[in-house]
Amino acid sequence: MSSDQRSTMKPVVEARDLGKTFGTGSDAVEALRDVDLTIDAGEFVSLIGPSGCGKSTLLRLIGDLVRPTTGSIAINGKAAEQARLDRDYGIVFQKATLLDWRTVTENVQLPLEIMGEDLRSDKAAEMLDLVQLGEFRDHYPWQLSGGMQQRVAIARALAFSPSLLLMDEPFGALDEMTRELMQQEVLRIWHQTKTTVVFVTHSIPEAVFLSTRVVVMSARPGQISQQLETALPHPRTEDTRESPAYYDKVTEVREALRQRP
Amino acid sequence: MNGPTSSHDLSQPTADTRRSTKGVRGLLGKYGPAMALFLGGLVVWEAVVRMFDIQAFVLPKPSEIFQRLLDQWDVIAGVTGNTLLEAIGGLVGGTVSGVAIALVTVRWSAARDGIMPFAIATNAIPIIALAPIVNNMFPITSPVSKMTTVAIVVFFPVMINTARGLTEVDASELELMRSYAAKPSQIFKRVRIPHALPYFFSALKVATTLSIIVAIVAEYFGGPQDVLGQYILTKASLFVYPDAWAAIVVASLIGIGLYGVVLVAERVSMSWHVSLRALDEN
Repeated sequence: MSSDQRSTMKPVVEARDLGKTFGTGSDAVEALRDVDLTIDAGEFVSLIGPSGCGKSTLLRLIGDLVRPTTGSIAINGKAAEQARLDRDYGIVFQKATLLDWRTVTENVQLPLEIMGEDLRSDKAAEMLDLVQLGEFRDHYPWQLSGGMQQRVAIARALAFSPSLLLMDEPFGALDEMTRELMQQEVLRIWHQTKTTVVFVTHSIPEAVFLSTRVVVMSARPGQISQQLETALPHPRTEDTRESPAYYDKVTEVREALRQRP
Repeated sequence: MNGPTSSHDLSQPTADTRRSTKGVRGLLGKYGPAMALFLGGLVVWEAVVRMFDIQAFVLPKPSEIFQRLLDQWDVIAGVTGNTLLEAIGGLVGGTVSGVAIALVTVRWSAARDGIMPFAIATNAIPIIALAPIVNNMFPITSPVSKMTTVAIVVFFPVMINTARGLTEVDASELELMRSYAAKPSQIFKRVRIPHALPYFFSALKVATTLSIIVAIVAEYFGGPQDVLGQYILTKASLFVYPDAWAAIVVASLIGIGLYGVVLVAERVSMSWHVSLRALDEN
């Protein structure tokens, strides 16, 4: 399903004048205003900004986990709700959100089970190999470290081969060492699966290292203030982190974050 | 594995405290202190009663209670069976209806808004005060009246706790299920019900103890004579206190027994839970 969606060349995400206000009357909080965003197939787009800039809200609008107040959002050329019902995307949260009573394999099988797919297929095993956790398939989540749990969450999100992967500060709770390893992992998985990724983060180096494009947002109300192509060569390695081009891009994003729109 | 760097964080699963409960030494280490305290308590009790020549109607000797228990075993076993039937009948009825109502209130919010105020009001009623009335709602020899009183008492903690467990689900777990376009029934089966199990079992542990207490107290208010409550009442009114004590010992033992059954059920159905993991490691 996902491959022919990609070949139609419709953008994976297309938001027009998107706005979201939580609450009504005097309690109303405007989380997002006038967001225009287009993401094409195969891109790796990071949403970065201070807390309260609506980056997580934007991700949830893409996933139809919240509904927009104004404007429109289309996923693969369809209404966001239809895309969710069609299981067009997989999602990873800051918390791994694994079910404690299921083994690693059973956690990865969860979406397949719900979608009524054949569990006898080796899909779960294949995904666990992808995130290099094959030998932990029969472990329980609490037997794994935080980084391993997050890998399981990624395997689960990709188990049904969605065309889009949404990640909401997935490495925010991990230590710096693990975090950098996970960034490498995500890039490797992105290359291997060709999945479009939307990645929410508040780490500038993380956004620059991972993305093809960094969407810089500002707060109160949440708006897109700038979009920067990172234009760093692939594959990105530990050497990338030490290259002048990388430093320059990190500086550029930092300055963009400092400016008011 | 891709070599040492990528397996860096794979090699250290979070270690759980390992406590050995295996073997005689392990069991002694775990249960020894409690056993010692229990036996020591009995010895002190026996000694105090003998030393101060305390009368049996105040406090009989443990040895005497034990002797009466053996002598009266056939009668006590019979009445205990009848009381146990009432307690279990009421426990099952109250638990099944409590879980059913909890599921309904969580699934349909209109049902929650309608039912909850009454459920909370029910809890405020001193239900045991209803026992004499409930006793007369059914034929005098029927155990159903006691079962009903037990069921009403058991219903509330089971219902409230189960409902709470069904709703105390991480927001991101619900978002995850929504992202899969999961049906409500799928969310119940795969997320809500497993989350509710620890709450359910906590309530059930309270409920088992309550069921025995309520059954016996309800028996005090009349009905068939061949039940624990009436046995204790009769023996006490005849000043045969060691016999009454023997029956109380048996009542306590069946309470502990029922509790044990719930513990085993809990252990079997949620071995994944954090409170049971240390045991699992063995």
